[in-house]
Amino acid sequence: MARTSLAKLWKMRVLMFLAVLGPGFITANVDNDTGGILTYSQAGAQFGYKMLWTMLPITIALIAVQEMCARMGVVTGKGLSDLIREEFGLRMTFLMMALLVIVNYGNVVAEFSGVAGSMQLFHVSKYVSVPVCAALVWFLVVRGDYKVVEKVFLFASLIYLSYIVAGVLAGPDWQEALVETVRPPALNVWRQDGYVYMVIGLVGTTIAPWMQFYLQSSIVEKGVTVKQYGAVKLDVIVGCFFTDIVAWFIIVACAATMYVHGMTTISVPSDAAEAMKPLAGQYAFILFAVGLFNASLFAASILPLSTAYTVCEGLGFESGVDKKFGEAKFFYWFYTSLIAAGAAVVLIPRFPLVKVIILSQVLNGILLPVVLVFMIKLINRKELMGKYVNKRWMNITVWATSLVVIGLSLALMFSTLFGVKTP
Amino acid sequence: MTDIVTRTNLSDLLGTPIVDATGRVMGRVCEVAMETDKNHDTVDALVVRSSHLSGKGRLGRKRADRYIPVEHVKQTATGALKLIGNPSHDTFPQEGHYFLLERDLLDQQIIDVSGRKVVRVNDVDFVWSTRDNHLELRVSEVEVGLRGAVRRLLKGLAPQKTIEAVARQFAPRVIPWDFVDLIEVDPARRVHLKIEHQRLAQMHPSDIADILEELSPLEREAVFTTLDEEIAAEALEEVAPKLQMSLIDGLDSERVADIVEEMDPAAAADLLAELPDERSEAILEQMEPTERQEMQDLLGFHVNSAAGRMTTEFLFLSKDATVADAITAVRNFEGEPELLTDLYLSDEQQRLVGVIPLARILLAKPETQIDSLAEKRFTQIHSDLHQDDVAELFDKYNLRELPVVNKDDRLVGVIRADNVIGFLRSEH
Repeated sequence: MARTSLAKLWKMRVLMFLAVLGPGFITANVDNDTGGILTYSQAGAQFGYKMLWTMLPITIALIAVQEMCARMGVVTGKGLSDLIREEFGLRMTFLMMALLVIVNYGNVVAEFSGVAGSMQLFHVSKYVSVPVCAALVWFLVVRGDYKVVEKVFLFASLIYLSYIVAGVLAGPDWQEALVETVRPPALNVWRQDGYVYMVIGLVGTTIAPWMQFYLQSSIVEKGVTVKQYGAVKLDVIVGCFFTDIVAWFIIVACAATMYVHGMTTISVPSDAAEAMKPLAGQYAFILFAVGLFNASLFAASILPLSTAYTVCEGLGFESGVDKKFGEAKFFYWFYTSLIAAGAAVVLIPRFPLVKVIILSQVLNGILLPVVLVFMIKLINRKELMGKYVNKRWMNITVWATSLVVIGLSLALMFSTLFGVKTP
Repeated sequence: MTDIVTRTNLSDLLGTPIVDATGRVMGRVCEVAMETDKNHDTVDALVVRSSHLSGKGRLGRKRADRYIPVEHVKQTATGALKLIGNPSHDTFPQEGHYFLLERDLLDQQIIDVSGRKVVRVNDVDFVWSTRDNHLELRVSEVEVGLRGAVRRLLKGLAPQKTIEAVARQFAPRVIPWDFVDLIEVDPARRVHLKIEHQRLAQMHPSDIADILEELSPLEREAVFTTLDEEIAAEALEEVAPKLQMSLIDGLDSERVADIVEEMDPAAAADLLAELPDERSEAILEQMEPTERQEMQDLLGFHVNSAAGRMTTEFLFLSKDATVADAITAVRNFEGEPELLTDLYLSDEQQRLVGVIPLARILLAKPETQIDSLAEKRFTQIHSDLHQDDVAELFDKYNLRELPVVNKDDRLVGVIRADNVIGFLRSEH
């Protein structure tokens, strides 16, 4: 009697988990977009293993932040920009949205840069690949059945696992890698040119502000109730671990293949394909290109749409791809402009693809504390969250993250403005 | 006695300084309070936040908010507000009984009853009027468009006239206060504020369903629980299945039973079939015996068969009845008479033997035997026929209704055209 009920309980749990599997896991996969792949690659190529220590604190912060978004979505049933509007008013929302649009635009440019970069490996000119893909993405989202598309992309994301294999096959110094994962670097390492910049970039690409809005909206759309919250939490945590394990391996793979051979800069995306050589030899390029292309296209389908939804939600415009153009003019106009402008910029001749991609992730990092402060204030309001307000340790974690990132951003600004360089 | 009328809006009003009789600034308007029972559109009071801290000015000391009834306020030439008389209330009486416009209305979602959608409030328009020598402030409408948004965004950044000029470039979208339905999530406050959604209740059920779909779960529950059973039942029928579950979830079985009893039997059976067994059992238990039996019969049929689509509310009369008997039966019909298009005739063994369009009954004399009016040739189906075949028959014979019989040829239910449209659309 007892055995059957235990089995039944487990079966119910697994089914519930599968039913809500999605938002956290998908968000995690989109995390490894063009910005992610190239920032992690550059981190490994430029600094070897000396960036690995960031992965642990970033993962903890990511889990905390995403869990908060998930909790807010489940308890209030409203998206993040809705909450900001209702609790902080129109002006605050407008400022937040303006900043978010600028930063997200940078990310859109990054995605199309990824499309251009990956297609260049197949000798397809960016003047062909980018407009075609921009149009493709637009049609897919506006006319296509998005859910089917999502599943195809998700499946193709399994390509990231090849980074794990590549990382192993590159024959890295495991001991050094593991030690550097837990040991924060000495002060002279911090003073290295570009080190602080890269740390902010890593934070920004892993905990991208747009992803928090996207995650909360996905959860609200899925209609997850408080009862299913346990399964959602698990989905989010699993997603975070998956994304950061892949990130760790990307850094290690690039460190072991590029840094050790003195290839410390990635000037065009194809340089990063070097990391795949141990795995695929001359076919490294193909593997990398396919992976990057998939990642860029996936994110390009999600990011502009999510931005459009977030802005319309916050400012009170009609939104939805199920609505006709006339019913949701601002939404369609905004979404189309974002894609068009993002793609157009990439077509500028001699456009520095990699530099812009990494810059967009650094901007993510700089905006992050602003979003975090809003989130912390919201999630601690009893009228809003009832008994699901933050526990103390979580408040401390998120405040600490914000302060650290603000500190790093200030240090970066200081060194940029005053040209303080390492001797 | 001329009524002097000036218009203002909430974004203007908030932050306006109030001076006392000596001309000293007492504080600034921080809230506008009003009662919200029906037809009430006058503002009761302004809440003024003192610019002087009580006691020693320090962080953490709460500023005392003063509650000033509108009769004690007068507009000066400069547009500032002046205190007249001596208001007796210093602190806020019974805060829970008042609706505070800045906290509860501005930037919140409301239901636009005439537009039949959920919108967010950008600003609120008022009218100051002087009546019998005292000042009155009424809410005229709620601004949900760009004009209100621009005005609020620019406030304080430029002179008032410039802001107005810029704002006027944008189209206004307003909802008259009469068509505004407020949403309040806290049940106790709903009672105090007398929010009963009477206007919402008069909307068509599918419009109510659309609105429920646009709200967040807590807001949805808040609105749904105030609807009475009949309207709740009709709205529930129109709502997507997943949402039905969510709405039912928050209610106790007794209340759900009341609602289910008011629903169309086929829709009710579909709903109960989706619920976990213990829950549907609990609900069935709370239902009246006849309704419960009806539900259990319907639930016994397979959901994709004809029987799963049928309703058990139909008129079945003996073939020996007269037209007068038929009309009496229609009067006593417990379902909705508007849905009836046909009457069914039975023989002594309760088998279906004839169908009469209701229009014929209307045209005939009361003494006529209905037998003579009946169609002897009619379409009927068995309860286990698949619903796709049902749709085909409706199309082929241009039916409005299709009687369903069991293996003994006894009439067990009727499928109406609107049920067929429902499941045809759901397949696409």
